[in-house]
Amino acid sequence: MGEPQLSRRSVEHIPMAAPQPRIESEVMDGRWFKTNDKPQWIDHLVVDTVDEQTYVQIFGGASPSPADWGRVPVKWAFANASNTSSAKAGGFVVLYDFDDMAVEVQANFNLGLLVVATFVQFKQPGPLADRFTREFFFRA
Amino acid sequence: MTIAAESAAQSALDVAILTGDWRNTNAEGGIARIVCSPQGDGTMRVRCFGRSGDDAMQDWGEVDAPLYSFTFESRQAGAFSAVFDLGYEEVRVQANVKAGVLVVASFNRFKDDSGRSNYFDREFFHRISKG
Repeated sequence: MGEPQLSRRSVEHIPMAAPQPRIESEVMDGRWFKTNDKPQWIDHLVVDTVDEQTYVQIFGGASPSPADWGRVPVKWAFANASNTSSAKAGGFVVLYDFDDMAVEVQANFNLGLLVVATFVQFKQPGPLADRFTREFFFRA
Repeated sequence: MTIAAESAAQSALDVAILTGDWRNTNAEGGIARIVCSPQGDGTMRVRCFGRSGDDAMQDWGEVDAPLYSFTFESRQAGAFSAVFDLGYEEVRVQANVKAGVLVVASFNRFKDDSGRSNYFDREFFHRISKG
């Protein structure tokens, strides 16, 4: 019999002090390339973990996506949905702040694919609309 | 109307595809219901209802939801994001419409000392009314 599984949000508060398990984000480490042959918002990205901190570096594929977004630490890592005692990585959130736009990147790791969604918000009104993207990547 | 409000209205996206009352296609899903309400200034507010252990709905409250199109040139909103602070937990919701289905990903981060892992989930919703 395995460890008892804690319920999800159906239990609002569990009055006990317990360390939150570290999410094993390193299972997402690697170079991830787009599944789509055509140019897209993100061309490829690199995920790496150093001393239990995971980093993401994104490389843009189509304007106005920057050619190199830079390497930033993962803000939050998440386990998969099956239960809340899991430590297996299921996704992450990273935040980018450019001069003209802010981008929240939300990725999830599913069936060997990295599904990457971005929320692009321009800081000033202009001809381009705030945009949502979802793109798929395979690991080299 | 102020210049700022006029500018916001001019740049507002059409939210028709998103607004209304959405129900989870899975009767056991973690989020039971999502209500998307258009505001007069072109913005949108979102109310979520979580599912409690006794199958009752738990109102998470209503928050402003930034809107996003699928292309930079479009004036049609197709996605939104929203953040709900439940005290013990923060839920970051991302949603987009695909083929009439609201596809909702949630990134759930516990803030209490329960030891529960933060987790990702994805659920699907169908619209029962356009509001």
